[in-house]
Parts: sequence; structure tokens; C-alpha cells
Amino acid sequence: MTTAAWICLLSPLAAALVITLAGTRISRRMAGRLATLSTFVSFGAAVWAFVLMLGRAGDDRREVSTAWTWLTAGELRFDLSILVDPLSVFMMLVISGVGSLIVGYSIGYMDGDDEERRYFAYMALFVFSMLLLVQSANFLLLLAGWGLVGLASYLLIGFNQQRPSAVAAAKKAFIMNAIGDATIALALFLLIWEVGSLSLDFTSGGEGVPLDGTVATLVALGLLGGAVAKSAQIPLHTWLPDAMEGPTPVSALIHAATMVTAGVYMLVRLSPVFEAAPEVQDLAAGLGALTLVVAGLIALVQTDIKRVIAYSTMSQIGYMFLGAGLAAYGNAMFHLMTHAFFKALLFLGAGIVIHALAGEQDMRRMGGLRARLPRTYLAMLVGGLALAGMPPLSGFFSKDSILASALAAGTYGQVLFAAGLLGVFLTGLYTFRMLFIVFGGKASTHVQEHLHVPRRSEPALWMALTVGSLAVLSVIGGWLQIAGVWHPLSDFLHTAAEPKVEPSVTQDWVTAAISVSLGLAGIALAWWFYGARRTKVPEATAIRRALEHKLYFDEAYDALFYRPAAAVAREFGRWIERPLIGGSVSAAAAGARGLGGRVRLAQTGLLRNYALALAGGLAVLTVVFLSLSS
Amino acid sequence: MMGPEVNAYLIVAAFLFATGAAGVLLRRSPLVVLLSLEIMLNGANLALIAFSRRFGELDGQVFALAVMAVAASEVVVGLGLIVAIARRRLDLDVDKLSTLRG
Repeated sequence: MTTAAWICLLSPLAAALVITLAGTRISRRMAGRLATLSTFVSFGAAVWAFVLMLGRAGDDRREVSTAWTWLTAGELRFDLSILVDPLSVFMMLVISGVGSLIVGYSIGYMDGDDEERRYFAYMALFVFSMLLLVQSANFLLLLAGWGLVGLASYLLIGFNQQRPSAVAAAKKAFIMNAIGDATIALALFLLIWEVGSLSLDFTSGGEGVPLDGTVATLVALGLLGGAVAKSAQIPLHTWLPDAMEGPTPVSALIHAATMVTAGVYMLVRLSPVFEAAPEVQDLAAGLGALTLVVAGLIALVQTDIKRVIAYSTMSQIGYMFLGAGLAAYGNAMFHLMTHAFFKALLFLGAGIVIHALAGEQDMRRMGGLRARLPRTYLAMLVGGLALAGMPPLSGFFSKDSILASALAAGTYGQVLFAAGLLGVFLTGLYTFRMLFIVFGGKASTHVQEHLHVPRRSEPALWMALTVGSLAVLSVIGGWLQIAGVWHPLSDFLHTAAEPKVEPSVTQDWVTAAISVSLGLAGIALAWWFYGARRTKVPEATAIRRALEHKLYFDEAYDALFYRPAAAVAREFGRWIERPLIGGSVSAAAAGARGLGGRVRLAQTGLLRNYALALAGGLAVLTVVFLSLSS
Repeated sequence: MMGPEVNAYLIVAAFLFATGAAGVLLRRSPLVVLLSLEIMLNGANLALIAFSRRFGELDGQVFALAVMAVAASEVVVGLGLIVAIARRRLDLDVDKLSTLRG
């Protein structure tokens, strides 16, 4: 079982190294095939580990494999070790499964790009980092994976380095994530200080001693800070929409399916820590609910097709935070999986649209694509229906299971339940607004001029195959767990993180009925305004402007943090840097120069002067010795 | 075997050394400066041999031989420099060869 896990982890790393070292000795197409192959190997190994795990009894499914001791500092010892348990195997399956499909799609999407090799090396590096994150058996390795996925994300967002906006977006993502990394690091320092171990082994008798009181709250807060930054939840969410500057498959893999869900994984993996700090757990759930509503609202007015999906991603991760915060771990992970399927599908479908329109991302210049790209339309429709939670597609089962858990989690849960229902309505509205604008109506002049349907070729085949697979998964993925009928996924994850809320069958069906009707209402409203165009969309200028400015988060951060920091730096530059630091350096330089100017005069260049000095010195020494010896 | 006192040799050595030093300090022709240097060295050699005789040890004489070897090589270098200067048709005047002035 651990052998399979090691293969799963190291195969993408090997591909990244080979592509990097081989350079131009392999063709660009070969680099893509190599990266895809490595992720498929990874997926195969994950399946192998999964099958081996199914053969074991519930208590025996957790295993730690240590390669070597990585670091020792006094009493502390950190091993390079991986943890194989149901939760990590589940994440391995999702990451390598969706990852291999998306990397395969990239062969088609990146075809003809000058820097395909660099792209595929980065992608393989990302898959490796993400697997390291979910397999690590201690906090330190977890933080290493956490940082590495941030690095890969930075590199891939800024992949088009000649475009200034891409570079700016990459920096923004990196800095926002660095804030989260810093809070995690602080939490880890506190853990070392208080517990003296960074083990993830919270089982009874394990090294990770259970915490309580203020320490637990502080540690949980620090960890939550990292989770919020990585998963783009309010208030550290502003980087995700800008991250859409990266190539579309990157958005699908990193900024929808895997990396941004790392925060949810952390909430579930470290559930013992969060359960020791219930108020932090409630905060996580509350932030999730807030994000899912706010992101849904902002998505209503976005005009860039990828940004609509990006806000939708934030909103859906909000659901996962809501579920994980209310200790409905199995349901949160279930939604993580189905979301990976349908969100990757939507992104890849959007990628085909963007590709067919020569790089155009503005929805206002699209329209009438249903007749031109029928298969893409079908795939996007499946993704959209799954996102809006329509039965029997995957989103229906997973989202409703989270909402039902909220309904079962007391008064606070019911407040969040209401927010979640509002989110369902908004989801239907913004998703179908996008679909109606892009695919419905008449073809715009831009479409008529620029549309070119790709010919049958290997790259196009890769794109079609992977999108097709994801569409199938988006349909059937939800049948893995049907409320009141069976729940194998929750059972499987039970040993890793035991859920604390269990909705009754009645609550499940009530939730399903309400949320489906709300989702349908959203879709109907979208049809009314954007499909049938019966009424003009209400102007509501003030609200619209606020939403178009993303509720002024960027402006607020600019005024709160950037401007004061820049002003302080400027004043320090004027009053401290120039007179004190620069001044002392130039004073030392001037002193040395002046002294040199004086001493220089002794060097006359006249041989007889030097000889006289020698003779004089000899005479003086002679006199001194004579007077001393007598 | 008798001869003059050791002190007499030392007086001659000091005279030779002072003559050489005056030549080095006062003359401007590099050739003469080199010559004066040789006189200084010979003065020092004479003093070494005189002391060797006085104390009955051979060290000083051996030392004088070493000084002669050094003096010979020094003359080779010095004369080489002087020839090089003459080849470039520069003035043979140590006061004018002051390019290395600080």
C-alpha cells in the first residue's frame, strides 16, 4: 500500500525533472505526453493503493511510511514520511484522476505554444506538490507541500510572462498566500512550543497530543488563516479572480479542482485540532457561508467567462468550508470531489470556447455558439446543471448533503442553511446567465469573424476525450453517495475524520426539495432575462457598480495596507535612509578618500628620497640600540 | 700571523659604507648609484670578515660569500634595467624616473 503511495507521489516529480533536464532534446509534444503519462501512472498507483486498502479492516487502514529522518533539532525530529489513510487515498484519487485528465487536455490547449515544455514541467511539479500536501505525515511536510503548490500556482499564473497583468496577478496570488503561510508557520511554532511535536497522529497514544483552551484556539486560528488564503475565502479571496490570467487548464486544475480545495482538506485532516476550538470551527463555517453568498453576487455582473467560473469556485468552496466547519467532513469531501469534476468540466469547456474564438474571454462578444459548438454546449450544459445542483447530476447530491447537515446542526447551522439556500438560487442564476449569453441568441459579429472550429487532430482529440470523460464523471459522480440510500464515501472516510452531524433522511429530502426549486427559480430568472430576453435586465446602478468593483475589497486593501506602507516607506526613505544610513556610508567613504589624499604625498617617486628615508631610519635605529645597550 | 688590529678593519669598513651611502644619496646617474651600492655591500662584507676573524668563527666568512652572490645577481638586474632605460632613449637620471609618484 505504501509502495503504491510512493509511486503515486514521485512519478510526477520524475516527469518534471526529466522535462526540465532534457530541455530541447525532447519534442514539445513529447513533453506533454510525458507529463500526462506520469499523472496517469500516479492515478494508477492511487487506484492500486485504494484497492489494497479496501482489502483491509477499518482500523488497519492507516499506515505511515518513513523514507528517512529529514531534520533534527534538539528534541525535535522530522521524518520524510507519508501517511496513507482513507482521507489521503481519497485525495490522491481526486488529484491524480482529475489532474491526469486536465494535463492531457493541455496537450491540445497548449499545442503550438512556444514554451510548452516549461508549462508541462510546471504542471507535473504542481501535481507532485499537491500530492505531497495530502500525503504528508507531519505538519512540516504539509507546510512544505503547501508552499510548493503556492509556488507552482505562482509560476503558472504568470506563465505568460510577457503580459504585465499576468505577472501582477501571479504576484498578488503569491503575496495573499504568503499571508496564509505565515499564519500557519506561527501556529506550528506554537505547536512546537506547547506540544513539542508536529505529528499529524492525533489518535489516542499518538504523538500529536490533543490540545485545549487558548492554545488550541490560537493554533486553529493560525491554521484557518492558511486555509482561508489558499481556498480564496473572504477576507483573503481577492487573488483568485485575478489568477484567471493563467492558461485555462491551469485555472481548471489549480484554481478550481485541486489547490484551492487544500483548505478544505486541511479542515478535515486536522479536525481534532479544530474540534478542540469550536469557536474557530464556527468561524470557518461562517466565513464559508459569507463567501458563498458574496461570490455568488459578484459572479452575477462579471463579463469575463473565466471570472464568472472563478467566483463560482469561491462560492462552491464556501459550501465546503460550511460543511467542514460544521463537522460534516464526509459531505464536505464529497462536494470537493464532485466540484472537481464539474468545475474542471466548465473550465475546460470555457477553454474550448476561448480557443475557438482566438483567445476572446469577454462574454459580451460571444453569443449563438450553440449551433457552432454543439458538443461543447452539451458538456457545458452538463457542468452548469451539476453546478446548479439539478438532479440527478453530481452537484445535487453533494451540495444538498452539506445543506442538510447545516439544517441538522442547531440554530447557528440553520442561519448558515439559509445563506446556503440563497447561494443555491444565485448559483442557478449566474451559471445560466453565462450559458445563455455565451451559447444562446444570435452569433455576434465577433463570433462570425473569428470562430474557427478545430479540425480533427491529435491535440483536438485529447481535448474532446478529456472533456467527455469529465462530463460523464459530472453526471455519475454524485451517485456514489445518495442520501437515505447509501453512503459508501462517508463510511470510507469515517476512520480518518468522524462527522459530528448526521442529518436525518427527512431533513435530506426537505433540503433537496427546497434547493432544487430554488435552483430552478434561479435558472428560470436567468432564462427570463438572458435567454428569452423578455425584460431588460434591471439597471440598479449603485448595486451593479458595487458588485462590479467586487465590493471594493481591492480598493479597501489598497487604502488600508498598501498606501500606509508606501507612505511610511517614503518618509523613512527621506528622513532615515538618506541622512542616517546613506550618510554614514558616504561619510566613511569621504574619510578614507581624504586620508588617502594626505598619505599619497609621501610617495614622491624620487629614488633618493626613499634611500634617504632608509638611511635616516637606520641611523635612528642605530642610535636607539646603542643607547639601550650602554 | 700578526697584522693590524680588528678595529682598523672596522674603521675601513665604516668608511667604505659611508662613502657608498653618500654616493647613493647624492649621485643622480643610476650607473653610479649602482656602483655606490656595491661599495656599501663591500663595506658590510669587510665588517663581516673582520668579526669572523675576531671571534675565530667561520660564519661571517660564509655570510660574506652569500652576500657576494646576492650582489652579483642584483647587479645583473640593475644593469639590465639601466640598459632597458638607455634603449628607450630616456635620460639616465634617477630624479627624472619618477613615474610612480603618488
